[in-house]
Amino acid sequence: MRRIVIVGGSLAGLSAASALRAEGHDGSIVLLGDERHAPYARPPLSKGVLTGKEEPTSAQLPPPGDDIDLRLGTSVVTLDFSREAILTRGGAWVPYDGLIVATGARARSLGQGGLQGEYLLRDLDDSIALQQALARGPKVVVVGAGFLGMEVASSCRMLGLEVDVVDIDPPLLRLLGPDLSEFFADVAREDGVRIHAVPDGASLLGDDKVTGVAAAEFRIDADIVVTAVGDVPNTEWLGRLGSHPGFGPLLVDSRGRFAPGIVAAGDVAAFREENGGEFRRTPHWSSAVQQARTAAAALLRGDQADPVRPGDYFWTEQFGLDLRMCGQLPPRGEMQIVDGSLQKREAIVRWIQDGSPTAAATINRKLSLPALRRFSSVPIDSAERQAV
Amino acid sequence: MKVEIDRDRCEGHGMCEEAAPDIFRLDHEGVAQVLIPDVPTEMEAKAAAAARACPVAAIRTTA
Repeated sequence: MRRIVIVGGSLAGLSAASALRAEGHDGSIVLLGDERHAPYARPPLSKGVLTGKEEPTSAQLPPPGDDIDLRLGTSVVTLDFSREAILTRGGAWVPYDGLIVATGARARSLGQGGLQGEYLLRDLDDSIALQQALARGPKVVVVGAGFLGMEVASSCRMLGLEVDVVDIDPPLLRLLGPDLSEFFADVAREDGVRIHAVPDGASLLGDDKVTGVAAAEFRIDADIVVTAVGDVPNTEWLGRLGSHPGFGPLLVDSRGRFAPGIVAAGDVAAFREENGGEFRRTPHWSSAVQQARTAAAALLRGDQADPVRPGDYFWTEQFGLDLRMCGQLPPRGEMQIVDGSLQKREAIVRWIQDGSPTAAATINRKLSLPALRRFSSVPIDSAERQAV
Repeated sequence: MKVEIDRDRCEGHGMCEEAAPDIFRLDHEGVAQVLIPDVPTEMEAKAAAAARACPVAAIRTTA
């Protein structure tokens, strides 16, 4: 396999390029990224970059070396599977022997057709635009109380802005389970955020420009609305190879393969569990890194590559809480406090189901990732002796 | 290749240690340290991959 093309210049694409070299691929690697920015890390986009505390360039990742042909500002239009080539928006055909799909996902919008005043947060330009809007001191409503929505709300409070959060479910419930959901909601309220449960959903108000958010029982006025209600995998350019064009992720096997000579990694893909299990999409940092390594190895070595190790590490920073968690989301079983206390906002917690740990988390507590992983997976006594 | 950590930026997620345990390790404060600042050629690909795995872009590599 001489020439490998990677479509997508974010974490999964860049990690795949590194992994191909680490696996010994000495043919050419072309990395197509549709953004004009050099590859960067997304986590600061809802935090330091959004509050203006950090420069946008501070999130840049180490650029690929000279042995990788990085082409920024290059979006792709379509794949011609029989010709083994990709058409770019500029009209050029890029041929490949092997292809890695890492086109990620785009933020879902509530205002069909782009209402002025509705902001999404996915890439660096989004973060810069929202940062500039927040600097004008607006009243903000955030729709969606997942990690992203709550981090945005936290950044708004840091800037002294009035902010409401609405979601069908209580904050972070789908991610962290009931105990931590309640804890995070309490801390956010104490910090001044108004949280509204809208079991029937919410919609945007306004004709050309957003004026607020409407739910079944009430309306909230807003100067701007930040929509953080999930994302849509970018698969349309794959045509019939995209399993559910416009909606679902690419369904790939446990090594990232979904067509001859083509693998996928990152937010665009749902990996199958080993032995024909479920397809799971895990759009998180550690997953993108793991999947990129797996997909690169599988493209070069097929079945000899190891199946993916599911990404099991997540974190969020909001309202003075630094949460790090190991395990699958949401955690299964009963939550126990291992050390510290939630009231003191410093704790190690763990979830137990049928006598075995399923997940573990730290709140404002330093613990190495291997130690946290031990808490989340090995029987109780031995982990405590090793790690506390 | 030379590798450096911005200790102020590092948040101790430990993704570098996981990707390249020979080169990076979290110290007792939970901040990453570089075990081999001058990375030999045969380990460069691994060091670069670990640097790109950092979620806060705290690792700098120079040729």
